[in-house]
Amino acid sequence: MTSVTFNNTEKRIRALLVKDFEVDPGTLTLDARLNELGVDSIGMAELIFNVEDEFGLKLPDVAVQLSTFGEVVQFIDEAVAGQRAAAAPYPVAHGVQTAA
Amino acid sequence: MRRVAVTGIGLVSPLGHNAADVFEAARAGRSGIHRLQIAGAHRLAAPLAATVQFDGTEHFEPPQFRLLDRVSQFAVVAARRALADAGCGLTEAERRRAGVFMGTGMGGTLSIDEGYQTLYGENSDRIKPMMILKGMHNAPAAWIGIENGWRGPNLTYSTACSSSSVAIGEAWLRVACGAMDIAIAGGSEAPLSLGSLKAWEAMHTLASEDAADPARSCKPFCRSRSGMVLGEGAALVVLEPWDRALARGAAIHGELLGYGLTTDAGHIARPSIDGQAEAMAAALAAAGIAAADVDSINAHGTGTQANDLAETAAIKRVFGARACQIPVSATKALHGHLLGAAGALEFVLSLLALRHGIALPTLHLDVPDPDCDLDYVAHGARVGAAGRTMLSNSFAFGGTNAVLALRAVA
Repeated sequence: MTSVTFNNTEKRIRALLVKDFEVDPGTLTLDARLNELGVDSIGMAELIFNVEDEFGLKLPDVAVQLSTFGEVVQFIDEAVAGQRAAAAPYPVAHGVQTAA
Repeated sequence: MRRVAVTGIGLVSPLGHNAADVFEAARAGRSGIHRLQIAGAHRLAAPLAATVQFDGTEHFEPPQFRLLDRVSQFAVVAARRALADAGCGLTEAERRRAGVFMGTGMGGTLSIDEGYQTLYGENSDRIKPMMILKGMHNAPAAWIGIENGWRGPNLTYSTACSSSSVAIGEAWLRVACGAMDIAIAGGSEAPLSLGSLKAWEAMHTLASEDAADPARSCKPFCRSRSGMVLGEGAALVVLEPWDRALARGAAIHGELLGYGLTTDAGHIARPSIDGQAEAMAAALAAAGIAAADVDSINAHGTGTQANDLAETAAIKRVFGARACQIPVSATKALHGHLLGAAGALEFVLSLLALRHGIALPTLHLDVPDPDCDLDYVAHGARVGAAGRTMLSNSFAFGGTNAVLALRAVA
């Protein structure tokens, strides 16, 4: 399930991964696994931080498993959509927690 | 106990990035101290520091660079240089026993300062996720271990201004007693944040700016000394058993003879003549040498009123009537006080002084303090005066006194 904004969300997160993690754009398919792209649990915390800046979001600190690029895009896309629907700064019901 | 050779030197320092440049700057008396240019420097009474010409992006790819505070960048680059100098490729079995021994006084204080600026200065909760990993004191040692796959002891000592002398001494102990066959040891410090500088300023330990020339602001043992000037950088050495170094044909920079360690257990900041003298005596005992064998000394020599008086008295106590004939160099006037990296940089300068046979100068000692009446090599480097055997002194807030004893190769 994707929203109408999905492609735009994918583009912006793709740009972050290429810029901050030096991910090869050619490997960034939606089913690419994050740990194989060099984004480990610590990197995930950093990616989420940068995504929050990019999208003006604040994701609550609740555990959710995101394994692939596509799952990250979908998660953020839903958060953006939820934010718009609620027109509130902290709309999403779930967030991301990384391994310690 | 086994003899221990120094086979590698790695430097990131205010005086340069390799042993030849650093020694030449020290010999010629070219100070690395200057006006500091950071945001908020105008809020400092005397905005002075000895900084390093260093751009981390030239040494690290972006994914790793983001994880490294400046203190870890210095440490990793200095380690690369020390290991390249030592020329010792290790087998997998050797790496399992190879140790990293680091000193740092303030760890990743720049990252901590940045985080607090966000939190308190900007009233924002957007603390970057890497603040803990960048700020923790053991990050420099950890990154050296990670980069080289060294899986033996990986230890960080934080005993303020003696941290890296302690690190080198503790590494020496393990190599000498046979617990390990190779170690990299030294210190790293990147303390030049506004928060850190203001804290040091509040303690009234920092030098006022010399009216004629900021580079002349740190004046150890001088009557008009007014305190220390902070510096940044890293210095690391590779230590290995003497016989191993000979067997592999390594170039040996010098011998680390021994290490003395005492604690004042008195005042938290005021130096103790007893503690300093006992540390020098302990270093002599560990090295198996007599006071009469010591040819020259690299002093702790911070340029504070308290240290320079106490250290002068402690040297007199250990060396008696001969104290006034021993060249005593206070090189912090050149490279500033690198806090947790100071002892390591001064140990390296001592190795180089012995190798070249040159006692390094104590700069800006224009008007001697009548109570500081040793031979401080006040009027320029002295050729032929370093001798064969030296002590390198490091004393610290908290009362940890560490002294390294070293000898020239031949």
